[in-house]
Parts: sequence; C-alpha cells; structure tokens
Amino acid sequence: MTRRVVVTGLGLVTSIGSDVATFWEALLAGRSGIRPVGSFDTKDYSVHIGGEVMDFTPDGVESRIDLTRVGRASQFAIAAATHALKDAGIDPERLDPTRAGVSMGTTSGEPREVETYTDMLLKGDLSAIGPELVTRYPCGSIPASMAAALGFAGPNTMIPTACAAGNYAAANAMEYLRSGAADLMLAGGSDSFSRITYTGFARLGAIAPERCQPFDLNRKGMVPGEGAAVLVLEPADLAERRGARIYAELVGYGLSCDAHHMTASHPEGEGAARAMLSALKDAGLAPGEVDYISAHGTGTPTNDRLETLSIKRVFGEAAPKIPISSAKSMLGHTMGAASAIETAICALAIERGRVPPTINYETKDPDCDLDYVPNHARDHRVNVAMNNAYAFGGNNASLILKRYEGGR
Amino acid sequence: MKGRVAVTGRGLLCALGDDAAVVHQALAEGKSGLRKVELFETVGLARPVGGEIVGFDAKSYLGKKNMRPLDRTARLVTTAAHLALEDSGWNTEARSGHEIGLVLGTMYGSVRTIAEFDRHAIVEGPSYASPLDFANTVINAAAGQTAIWHGLRGINSTIATGQTSGLRAIAYATGLIESGRSDLLLSGGAEELCFQSFISLERAGRLAGADVEPVPFGMDRGGFLPGEGAGLLMLENAELAARRGARVLAEILGCGVSFDPHRGQNEEQSVRASVCAVRAALSAAGIGPDAIGAISTSASGGPLDELEAKGLAEALGERARVLPVTAIKASLGETLGADGGLQAVIAVETLRKGEQPGIRGLHDLRSGFPFPLAGSKPRPLVSPNLLLYSMGWDGQHCAVVVSRTTES
Repeated sequence: MTRRVVVTGLGLVTSIGSDVATFWEALLAGRSGIRPVGSFDTKDYSVHIGGEVMDFTPDGVESRIDLTRVGRASQFAIAAATHALKDAGIDPERLDPTRAGVSMGTTSGEPREVETYTDMLLKGDLSAIGPELVTRYPCGSIPASMAAALGFAGPNTMIPTACAAGNYAAANAMEYLRSGAADLMLAGGSDSFSRITYTGFARLGAIAPERCQPFDLNRKGMVPGEGAAVLVLEPADLAERRGARIYAELVGYGLSCDAHHMTASHPEGEGAARAMLSALKDAGLAPGEVDYISAHGTGTPTNDRLETLSIKRVFGEAAPKIPISSAKSMLGHTMGAASAIETAICALAIERGRVPPTINYETKDPDCDLDYVPNHARDHRVNVAMNNAYAFGGNNASLILKRYEGGR
Repeated sequence: MKGRVAVTGRGLLCALGDDAAVVHQALAEGKSGLRKVELFETVGLARPVGGEIVGFDAKSYLGKKNMRPLDRTARLVTTAAHLALEDSGWNTEARSGHEIGLVLGTMYGSVRTIAEFDRHAIVEGPSYASPLDFANTVINAAAGQTAIWHGLRGINSTIATGQTSGLRAIAYATGLIESGRSDLLLSGGAEELCFQSFISLERAGRLAGADVEPVPFGMDRGGFLPGEGAGLLMLENAELAARRGARVLAEILGCGVSFDPHRGQNEEQSVRASVCAVRAALSAAGIGPDAIGAISTSASGGPLDELEAKGLAEALGERARVLPVTAIKASLGETLGADGGLQAVIAVETLRKGEQPGIRGLHDLRSGFPFPLAGSKPRPLVSPNLLLYSMGWDGQHCAVVVSRTTES
C-alpha cells in the first residue's frame, strides 16, 4: 500500500521576498527581482543583470550549527527549511529524528568556494589555500548542513541534476515517503549566484541584456538568479492526523534523459514530452485534467520554442486552454532552486485559486502560441498543476501536484 | 510486489586495473595501487602519493570518436559504463528499443573542471571562457556525457552524498527498479584525482603523515591518501534478466540509509546511525545479521574507522566475531564518491570466488577490536550475503546487502 504524499509547508529565499505572503503578493503583482549584479564586478562582461537575493543574512535563523561556517547556498537552504517547518506548524525538536529526512537539488553547490580557491591560487601563494573545497564546497554539504542544523537523522540526499534538480529532489522525497522510509521530508533546491555560472551563461550568449521575456517573440535570453525553496512533505494520513494545513498533494513525477546534447534540448522536445507523459501516468491522470503548467520557461529562444512544442505534443488540443506561466520572468533562473520554487508556486496556485503572470510579454511568437498568462495574474481554479524542469545533461523532470481530497 | 534487482554486469577502473577478476586477485595478494602522482603538477603538496589510474586513455576502450567534450570524470564514467554494458550483454545492438538509465554517485563531479574554468576566465577575461568546459562545470556533467555517448535515454540522475555517493547511487537505483519505475539502470560511483581536491584534503588535515602507510582499522588512523576510480553495476529487473537469458552475477537484496546529525563528533550518535542503516538494509533484504557472510567497509586509515567498526559491531552483534572484513581503500586510496561503486564491483567478484580479500597492511588488531577475523589475508565467505557499508565525515551512512543469486 503506497502512502499518499502532501505538501504542508513552504519556505523560500528569493529576490522578491522570503516569506510566503510577501513572495506570493510580489509574484502575482508581477514584480521583478532582476537588478544590476551586485556581488561581483561585471565591467568585463557584455551583460550586467542578475536575480540576486539582496541583503540576505542567516542572522536570526535558529540552528544547531554555526551558520557562518557554511556556504551561501547552505545558508539559503537552512533559512528556507526553517521557514517551511514554521509554515507547517512543526517544531523540529518534537520530531522523531530518525523519521525526518532531507532531499535537495542544486546546479553548482557552493561555487563561491571555488572562486575563493581560484583567487588564492592566482595570488601565487599556495599556502593560503584552505580546506574549504573539502569542508564547504561539496554540494552534499547542503542537505547535510540542513540536517545538522535541525537534528534530522533520516535519509539525506543531494541530487545535483542541474536546473531540474529541485524536481528530482522532490521525486526522491516522494519515494522515501511512499515506501515508508521516512515520515517527513524536507525537499527543495538551493543555488547561490556566482561569477562561474554567470560567466558560463554569458559566454554561451544566453543572458538577456535588459530583462527576461519568456515566450515573447523578441526574447533575448535567460537571466541568472539565486535562491532556495524547501517544501515540507508528509504522508497524507499523518498530516491529517495532526490537523495540518495541506496545500496540495504530490501525485506523480516523470524523469527522462534526452541523451542528445549537454546544453541544448532535443530538437523536437522528445525527452521533455516523455517526462510529462511519464508523470501523468504515475499520477493516473489524463492530459486533459491538467489545468495549470509552471513552465521551465527560461526566456532563451530555443527553450521556450521547444517547451511549447513538447507541451503541444503531450496535451494536443487541450494545450491552448491551459494557463502556463514562467516565474523566471521575474526571478530569473535560480538554477537548482528553480523547480523547487516553482513547485511552491504550483502549491500556492492550487490553494489560492490564482496563477502568476509571465511578465515582460509584449509580442506574440508564432512558435509560442499558447496561453502564457501575459503580464497579469489571473483568478483560476487549479485542480492539477504540472511543474516542468529541464537541465544541462539533457535531464528532464515533470512533477504533478493536485488539490488534496481526503479519503480514496 | 517489489521487483527483484539483478546484477548482470560490472565495469570498473581503479589504480589496480580495469578488470574485476584481476583487481580482486591483486587485492587478495595485498597489492597497492598507491604511488607517486603523475597526473598533475604536484608542487605545493606535502606528500603527492595517491591511487592514480596511470596511463588511463578512454580512447583505448571507446574508439577514436572526439573525446574533447569529456573531462576526466566523464571519461572514467563513460568507460566504466561501456565495460558494464558489454559485460551484461547490453551492447549497442541489444540496447535499441530499451531505455537504459544511469544513476551516478560522485562527491565532486569534477572540481578540477570548475576550478580550471574559473581560473581561465579570470586570467584571460570572461569572453575567453570555454563554453565546452562550462557545460562540464555542472555536477551531473559526467552522467549527462555518458548518456549522450551511449544513448542512454532512461532516468539519468546523480547522487552527491560525499564518500557514500557511490553506494547511495546503488541504493537509489535499487529503489527505482523495485518500484517498477525503471528496469535497467547502470549505477555506482566515480571520482577523479586532481590537485584541487588533493590540496584541500591536505589542508583539511585528512591525509596520512609523511612516513605513515594508511591502514584501515590500523594502529595509526591519522589519515588516508587520495585515490580515483569508477565502478558501475548493471542493475536489472530480475524478471527481465531471466526473460533475456542474461547471466545473473548477484542480486541486490536490500539497502538502508541514515544520517548522523552530529557528523562523527558524538560516538553514540554515530553508532546509532550505523545501526539504523544496517537494520534497514537487513530488514529490506529479509535477513538477519546471522545470514551475513562478510563485510566490505569504507575504512580508509582515518579517524572515522573507529566509529565505523563500532557501529557495524553494534549492528551485527555476535555475528561480528565470525565475519571476514575488507576495506579496499587500503589499496586504492580514498576514492570518495567512487568507493561504493568500487566496493560493489569487488563484492560481486568476492561472491563469485567465495573468498574476500583482506585489508592490506592490517597485521595487528587493537585489543578489543570487534572483528577478530579482520586482517591482511583473504578469507572464505561464511555465507553468500555480503554487507557493503559506507560512511562519511559529512554524517552520511549507507548499507547495502548484495547476495549470490540462487535460482528461484
């Protein structure tokens, strides 16, 4: 007997707000978190904007470990985890630690530790190099630091499947809960802004110069961002027993690999479509039952065209009727955190009957001819939401959330 | 009904060779793969000795196709995957129409690739950064490159949980096959030796002193020497393996994971995490400690060895007194995320031969050491179920039971 999995808490660190109420209000209002890059000098670059979380500090976050001794992505993740538990009404001290686990995703882990290493190396003084590439950099330190901060002793996993990692992490958490290996999982993603990531996307010519315009005819690219989201996931029966507020149920996921190209999608969106179909099958849902899609929607010419194509392949005639939005129009691409933040958005859309807009949308692209909820949030009852994420390495992951109905 | 998980192939690359039988023999003879590092410039390292795969050339396995897009980690994984696919009978021809996936465990991906990308961009300017190298800075790059090379369109995932990554990847893949989500998964671990991790391990105080031979469970336990490698198993739904008449080498009976939020700083908590992981694996396998025939550990010569021995002894009770014990890091070095994959490949060979290699250099046991049969000599298995164990300084613990297949 497989247990049902529900979302009972949300925790966020984003460029438009780090508590659920502020974030949701900003998202619905179409507020952008994209600004000139502040964490390093971009004078040698041809682009200068990013979605950084300004003024973030771990001060005030309750933790059993010293948060000044972990990297920025770990700090984000611990802050988001703490918010999420509070949102769920859970006191971590009162949990059975062996039944509480963590499952996280990331693209780069703690890349700023590599930058520090490079800076030391280039000073020519090898003796100045410290232990940080061992003690702080490895991406597994993100969920490990979270568990140490909270005292969690259950399954602890990092799945660094790049920009789809948040969805992979949620899928992994679902498996632990479905199988009974854990009774509570914190699932999410975290990434910190870094010159390494920025340099790479700039060099690929992928960064938009002024703003992120997913699905618009004149879209010019993505914008690197940062942040974290952590969801509290529990088996439905336990959540009901403690009288928890249930945002939504996680009903299925699908994973696939293009095996085509490291940084480019399959030219017909084949792998993306397979992931969506596999998620629908896992959820026992027909395509026609999906009534909101949170798009990967990076704003690059290719992603948005191919994502549209693959949605049409899966949903056929129903595709134009489904509202689709890209939060990346406002947050930029928060890398491994993106799909986790977008899962939180799906949960909120289901709970609150509103879907966020895709901002900066001006001109229709004949290749992107679906309903992208242009510029203005919309009242829309969402029963079933699909969250799509695609990544370097040809990794595709779709997650499906559904309005929770007890019984069955 | 859980699906059964058969091992139908294995591929490994390590300092002692690229063939499971040859490496097993070398381990049994007490050979060491540790030698002076030739792979990179070692200026600045106090003791540049490690378990390097000398002269590794992926082209000699994979042909002359362009190797430039693959970094060393990706080459190790692509080659190990090639060996495992061939060994299992899933050659290129047999693969068509089947979706094979890959779950790779790695601590770093390639920290060398990321650091080199960053250094180059800083020295030459961001517009001279390499887009090809940027694609490999993501931690799932090796898994993605391997999928592209071999056309693996199934689930492609990467697990990064420090030193336990390889064993955790096998546990994750086992779960996917048991739940019916996948039928065919390559899984295991990989890590490359590089200056960046080497110097950082040194600075973190993890490495053995100048005149000390690291001996797992030995008298000194002051540190280890780094190594590299890749070890992958071809895991397969047992029914599918039977249908295609595959040679079944072994079966994965059960896996268990846990986390020690005190991360080795509190003996009682560490032991508790070990007991938790081992009990979960035995319970999933449907056997008790008395059915275990030998144990393979992650002991390396470092300070965690003591905790590992205590934890395993507590979990296995009286059975500990009759069990042969191995620790391949004695001969291969601390291969970090590769270790679990290498342990698993060696274990399958141990099950075939009925004899487990000893621990190189372990001639004297500390008084009160809970495994009296631990030593440098090979020993016969007491029964055909092996317990593989891995724990890391980040708090991760993982146990896997692998068994000689009996026809059913």
